[in-house]
Amino acid sequence: MTATFAIEVTRLSKRYGTTTVLDGVELSLVAGSRTALTGANGAGKSTLLAILSTLVSPTGGQVRIAGYDLQTQAVEVRRRIGVLGHRPMLYEDLTPLENLLFFAKLYGVANPRPRAEAFLEVLGLWSRRFEPVSVLSRGYHQRLAIGRALIHSPEILLLDEPETGLDAEGIELLDALMLREPAFTVLAATHRLDRIAGWADSTANIERGRLVSHQVSAEALAASR
Amino acid sequence: MNSVARTATRVYGWRWIVLPPTVGIAMLAMIVGAMVVAPREAVEGEVQRIFYIHVPSAIAAYLAFFIVFVSSIAVLWRRDMRFDVVARAAAGVGVLFTGLVLATGAIWGHPIWGTWWAWDARLTSTLILFLIFSGYLLARSLSDTSDEQSARYGAVFAIIGFLDIPIINMSVRWWRTLHPQPIVLKMPGEQALPGSMLAVLWLGMVAILLLALWFIVLRSETERIATRVNELRVALDRDDEG
Amino acid sequence: MNGALTVMRKDLVLLWRHRSGWLSAATFATMSVLTYSFAFDLVTDDVRPLLPGVLWVTFLFAGIIACSRSFADEVEQGTFDAMLVAPIPRSSLYLGKAVSNLAALLTIEVAVMLMATILFNTTLLTAELAFIVGVGTVGYVSLTTLLATLGSRVRSREVLLPVLALPLLVPLLIAGVRATGGALDVPNGDGPWLLLIVVFTIWSAVGSALLFPMVVEQ
Repeated sequence: MTATFAIEVTRLSKRYGTTTVLDGVELSLVAGSRTALTGANGAGKSTLLAILSTLVSPTGGQVRIAGYDLQTQAVEVRRRIGVLGHRPMLYEDLTPLENLLFFAKLYGVANPRPRAEAFLEVLGLWSRRFEPVSVLSRGYHQRLAIGRALIHSPEILLLDEPETGLDAEGIELLDALMLREPAFTVLAATHRLDRIAGWADSTANIERGRLVSHQVSAEALAASR
Repeated sequence: MNSVARTATRVYGWRWIVLPPTVGIAMLAMIVGAMVVAPREAVEGEVQRIFYIHVPSAIAAYLAFFIVFVSSIAVLWRRDMRFDVVARAAAGVGVLFTGLVLATGAIWGHPIWGTWWAWDARLTSTLILFLIFSGYLLARSLSDTSDEQSARYGAVFAIIGFLDIPIINMSVRWWRTLHPQPIVLKMPGEQALPGSMLAVLWLGMVAILLLALWFIVLRSETERIATRVNELRVALDRDDEG
Repeated sequence: MNGALTVMRKDLVLLWRHRSGWLSAATFATMSVLTYSFAFDLVTDDVRPLLPGVLWVTFLFAGIIACSRSFADEVEQGTFDAMLVAPIPRSSLYLGKAVSNLAALLTIEVAVMLMATILFNTTLLTAELAFIVGVGTVGYVSLTTLLATLGSRVRSREVLLPVLALPLLVPLLIAGVRATGGALDVPNGDGPWLLLIVVFTIWSAVGSALLFPMVVEQ
């Protein structure tokens, strides 16, 4: 039986000068799984996510995302991932509508305007669509950031420390938007497991650049049978 | 290929034994040659002796900047920060020797041309070269040496700066030599030199190039060790936190 | 190509929203021409031969001021990373900024040249001069935009950018001043100045577009 892996990491390493940040990381995530990536500050969580989101190139090893090689088929990988960092990554001087339209066009989404408008409705930003993002509250920033990360219907969502950028309501919203897609895979780096405990179906723990455990919860195992 | 690399590594291993005495002897020989052996120049007098340093320094500077250029390409291509260390070291040495060229040129120019400085084509392009790589050093010194992104930025700047040199030379030559000049420039190197002068010039060439090489090696090593110390400190700090 | 157009349109919208930033560069530029004109008038009756130099020095400094923050906001807001994870070529990020900087600088230059037309009593808005200044502007804007990727990574970047950019721009300064002088019938040496402007512009535009992806790669 061949499982379809959304993310397949083999012997991944990253060095800066003589400092080793990631050291032979092996990780395979089944399509549709929701994994919490835990570990202390500086253990390599952020670097791993930066590599998976094609922002940082690895020193060694191989990564396949949705079946595409990260280094030779980066454009195909980028089409299929959504990235939500601890910063909203929005244009403060554009309006919510302009932000979503811009990112929709950047990803070559068909009919960008109706899609952006539909997203604004779901995110509860419809009434504020013509105001610059800079005047919106933190909560609205967060909602709009979710919209930005999902506007191109990615297959895989990479979350970096959602607890600093996302509150409970945000996670609920994320769930509402994601649940429609059963094959949607999530990898979330966090050091506060309690915040997303009820939501992740597996945890991977990284320590000093090495992946030390990858556990799938009993519940999830049962569900997959 | 492998044996070449191994030989190169072995030769590089002898650098502390070979370079300092060789450089010392060559420099002494150059000074004796320039001050005593070389004949007094008939028209220009004693001040002409400065050219035994001036001309080799110019060549050493260009060589150093070429090393910066090649190492910068290697930084971008191979993503190896060791090349950045070499680029920084060579840039420092290049700027040093360009400064020496400008200074010795001015010392010579004052009695001979009657002015310390003139906006001559060659002087102008040397000054711009000096400014470009001083800027490079400034940019690199303002950023953290372990920051790979700044290293890549510096490498891109060095590449553009080096490729700019021919365009600068072209522009200043059209600008100046199409104009009638009050003083006709003729470097001693361009004239037919008497045999003993030429021999001393070659000696100076060897001495200065060896000196430049030694400086580059010395600076690369200190930079490398400084980087290593910095990394260890960061690692220690992280362990304290963890 | 579509991606590049989208980025470009976004940058032009941002250029308009941020107009107070680069319009201060325009104010600086007109003020600079005004001051030059006044200062030169104190020592010489014929200020016209000095005009090409005044114009180009002003353009280069205004260009550095206007371009210096090109990527700073993007980096601070994280939108730079947001574009890097999108499936578009890296060079389109550069293209968007270069085009919006070009639009800002051309606006500034028109203002400066109108000002100089009055102060130096010379007709400046001719086709020949428009060509010289237009091509030269593409040349220095493309290089200055690349150097502005320094972004928010380095302290004292406001000081650093002119120190890095001006020596590289010397060929353009020489050729621009000479060609402008030729167009204004100021006596100066002959030389293939237009050719040099074009060569420099092609070199800096192509070189910058090729090297930009190297700077943003990590």
